[in-house]
Amino acid sequence: MLRIDKLDIAGAVIVVAALALAPVLIGSGYLTGVLTVCAIYGIWAASWDFMSGLTGRENFGHALFIGAGAYTAGFLGTKFFADPWWSLPASVVVAVLFSVVVGFPTLRLRGPYFALAMLSAAAIMQRLMLIFWEVTGGEEGLYGLEPLIYSQLYYYWFVLGALVLTVAVLTLLARSPWGLLLRAIRGDEATCQASGINITFYKIGSLMISAAFAGLGGALYAHYQLQVSPPLFAVVTSITVIIMVYVGGMGSIWGPALGAILLTLLTEMLRGFGEYRLWIYTLVLILILFFVPGGLLAPLWRRFKEAVG
Amino acid sequence: MLGFIRYLLACLAGFLATGMALHSSASLAQSGKPIRIGVPTSIQLQVGRDTQTAISMAIEEINAKGGLLGRKLEMVVADETENPEQGIAAIKKLTADEKVDVLIGGYTSGVTLAQLPHIARAKTIYIGVGAASPAITQRVKADYEHYKYIFRAFPINAAYQAKGLVDFISGKLKGEMKLDKIAIIGENAKWVQDLVPILKKGATEAGAQVVLSEFFDTATSDFSPLLAKVKDSGAQYLIVILSHASSDVFVKQWYDARFPIPIGGIDVKSQDADFFTRVSGKAISETVGNFAVRAPLTPKTIPFWDAFVKRAGTAPVYTGVGAYDATHIYAEAVARAKTTDPDAVIKELEKTDYTGVAGRVVFDEMHDVKNGPGYVNLLFAQWQKDGERVIVWPKEIATGKMIAPPWMQ
Amino acid sequence: MLEIIVYGAVTSAIYAMLAIGFTLIFGVARILNLAHGAFYALGAYATFFLTSVGLPLIPAAALAVLFVAGFGVLMERYLVRPLRRSQLAVLMITLAVSLAVEQALFLVFGSEYRNVPSFVGDKLTIGGVDVSGQRMLALAVAVVVLGGLWLFIQRTRLGSAILAISQDAEAAQYMGIPSDRIFSIVMAISAGTAALAGLLVAPFLTVQPSMGLLPMVKAFAIVIVGGLGSIPGSIMASLLLGYSETIVAYLGSTSWTELVSLVAVVLTLLLRPAGLFGRRAAF
Repeated sequence: MLRIDKLDIAGAVIVVAALALAPVLIGSGYLTGVLTVCAIYGIWAASWDFMSGLTGRENFGHALFIGAGAYTAGFLGTKFFADPWWSLPASVVVAVLFSVVVGFPTLRLRGPYFALAMLSAAAIMQRLMLIFWEVTGGEEGLYGLEPLIYSQLYYYWFVLGALVLTVAVLTLLARSPWGLLLRAIRGDEATCQASGINITFYKIGSLMISAAFAGLGGALYAHYQLQVSPPLFAVVTSITVIIMVYVGGMGSIWGPALGAILLTLLTEMLRGFGEYRLWIYTLVLILILFFVPGGLLAPLWRRFKEAVG
Repeated sequence: MLGFIRYLLACLAGFLATGMALHSSASLAQSGKPIRIGVPTSIQLQVGRDTQTAISMAIEEINAKGGLLGRKLEMVVADETENPEQGIAAIKKLTADEKVDVLIGGYTSGVTLAQLPHIARAKTIYIGVGAASPAITQRVKADYEHYKYIFRAFPINAAYQAKGLVDFISGKLKGEMKLDKIAIIGENAKWVQDLVPILKKGATEAGAQVVLSEFFDTATSDFSPLLAKVKDSGAQYLIVILSHASSDVFVKQWYDARFPIPIGGIDVKSQDADFFTRVSGKAISETVGNFAVRAPLTPKTIPFWDAFVKRAGTAPVYTGVGAYDATHIYAEAVARAKTTDPDAVIKELEKTDYTGVAGRVVFDEMHDVKNGPGYVNLLFAQWQKDGERVIVWPKEIATGKMIAPPWMQ
Repeated sequence: MLEIIVYGAVTSAIYAMLAIGFTLIFGVARILNLAHGAFYALGAYATFFLTSVGLPLIPAAALAVLFVAGFGVLMERYLVRPLRRSQLAVLMITLAVSLAVEQALFLVFGSEYRNVPSFVGDKLTIGGVDVSGQRMLALAVAVVVLGGLWLFIQRTRLGSAILAISQDAEAAQYMGIPSDRIFSIVMAISAGTAALAGLLVAPFLTVQPSMGLLPMVKAFAIVIVGGLGSIPGSIMASLLLGYSETIVAYLGSTSWTELVSLVAVVLTLLLRPAGLFGRRAAF
């Protein structure tokens, strides 16, 4: 039923193995940390892609779910002193709740309107975090979280596992009839509705799934950074994720995950340029966006496969 | 699920063990190599540039005298920006990759607070020279074993700054100038939220009346509504508490409206030597709490100040002063401990009694720099004619009289 | 009370000047230009740079506006036009441009706040309210520019062409209106007004590399509330948001003002997604 390409499997195994072994072979604790952040961004990018890449509704407020997940972990850890492992399910639940509350009124909107509604929702949360600083810790946020796994390397492998799981689940969903329907909605919403498909159900469903993984990523992030703060809700967070998806190749799920890893590594590697770092990063972005508007990684792989077979 | 993870981890533990073995042998061979000072700071900001300049000045002085324990000192910088994620990455880079012996730097309290657990896990000494939140050193008190690596050499923490400000209100404003209606406005940031309650309590106890106290968003660029409220409150003096927000804009709007209430307080940007020219002189009569100015505070102040200006072209901001002292303080502690082993150095750092650029530096039981007369202290300097800074408080070191805004004379 | 009226007017005027270019380029060329905030910042910085090398203020300001208008035209011609088939690609490329401009400003001018001298140094008193002359100047210039723009669109041939394209691009093209040239002109107007807004407020607001972000979000919000592509709508929305923010700041707290425009956006999208004057429905 599901056609799975051998070449895809081989590629995936090689990439995952390389990622898993890199910190051991290179022997740098710093690299372990960077790769952990890479993998978390990978989860965020893949989850964004599942909803927005498939249905074509660009969500400029993914930070809302990321922040909701992270703050849930933050509150549980610093106010209720719960066992850190509770953060994962709790964050997923809270992020999904947020997606339902925000999704129902906004998902009927099209194009830039949906984008901006989501962006505003996330920005409002960020403001609220600052205004109610007595509860939320304000600008400094909540700190003093416990790590999930004390060893950094083991934690990295755990997060990498979560990323692989996320990509696998979302890819399977995207290739299932469900995913096909989402793509159909992207193509022509009116026809889908006319043929008796309950498109609201599908759209909300995909937003909930997207939010669930974003929230999970948020909790993983909180327990890696050991703190949460308002920038998580910021427009910049959403935009960073979208740029990663874009570079990875929209709609392919695994492309955005790799795009996230690539761009996060790039920003760290550019550290040597000192003050010029972020400027060079933005120039590279302009080049990529301009010359390969369809994305870099996924289309490249497709071409490679065509060339091989 | 968990069982599977454990199985997976066990499989990979073998790889890990080999990696670790390679690691520890590398770190043993380090003696004879330079002692590395890691500098996590915001390199795009003046505070960051001055931190680097001051540390390289101190390093050159020490190296010129033959270095430390026969080893040279060297500096490694990592950009922490003003974002916690980048701040943590900078700490990991310095501790795990560069394997520095000590960290000196910091600016935003939020970033420093986020970095603390990561510094503690890396078991590397950290001497803060930029962030003022009392919460930072409270961690040392709460969990000494874990957080003993954290010190703050500069600036004095927000609670002490509040005490200094209360002293200014009760001594200068209330005592000498007979002003007793005070308005307080501060930016919505952690260290200000820590500071304002202490300030309000202190001012009230001193007999002043706090007629208005309000926080505003750091992104605020139009202060006219806020100023109008202050005017309506009937205040005779406006205390401002700003660091990340736009002090420049605030002062300009205050001056342009010829606002009929004098201002003063803690305004971190207004501590810059070029602040007066930057706002075309519109800071006239603003009285600002400073940690150091070019005045004979200690025998080291003026020589350092002039050497810094010669090298950087501008006067140092507060992190420059702190970073210079912190480097020397660390070097002296290492010299006394005769090793760079963190535990031994911490013991010696705790015994620090060092006369620095801004005053005597002594750490309290929370590893926080002590404050008060003789120690590092808050001095209130007023911008006067042609951008001259006149110290008006504390009385003992005052260099001139306080003036009113030109339109109120 | 009077303070609210005066200060609200100034804020609204600046917002209107920011939003007008943003809505114009969307209405005409369907470009959601996220670099609009960068134009605003560039206008302020160009004026700062030119005055600091010794140019008198007025010529410096004029040159700055021209420079930014040119920058906008070049961006539209060489970066945006090739990607125009995809709205998201346009969104992303203008976003990347705005980030690159911000970083370039950081590198060239540093993170410090910069000072653009006031055009008018005096203080005015209007009905007992003290206002700096610079603010009143910003208000006056905004009114003149908006009025001029209205006349230009209503009364000139070029203006009618712009209007025609914004109403029905395809039909306009059949009528022989050269749409590419019109896009360049509209982009120049849009970037120029943003730069003008930036340099007029520079003496009393922030001049700092990331100064463009907040106005950008504001312009976006105003345009949504007013209806994407509608000029009268964005002027109404500017007044609405400008005054609401001022009222919230006076009667509530300054830390709540930034919430006003965000909540307005959400409410608009929920209750009347086409905006006050929008012609196209948002769903």
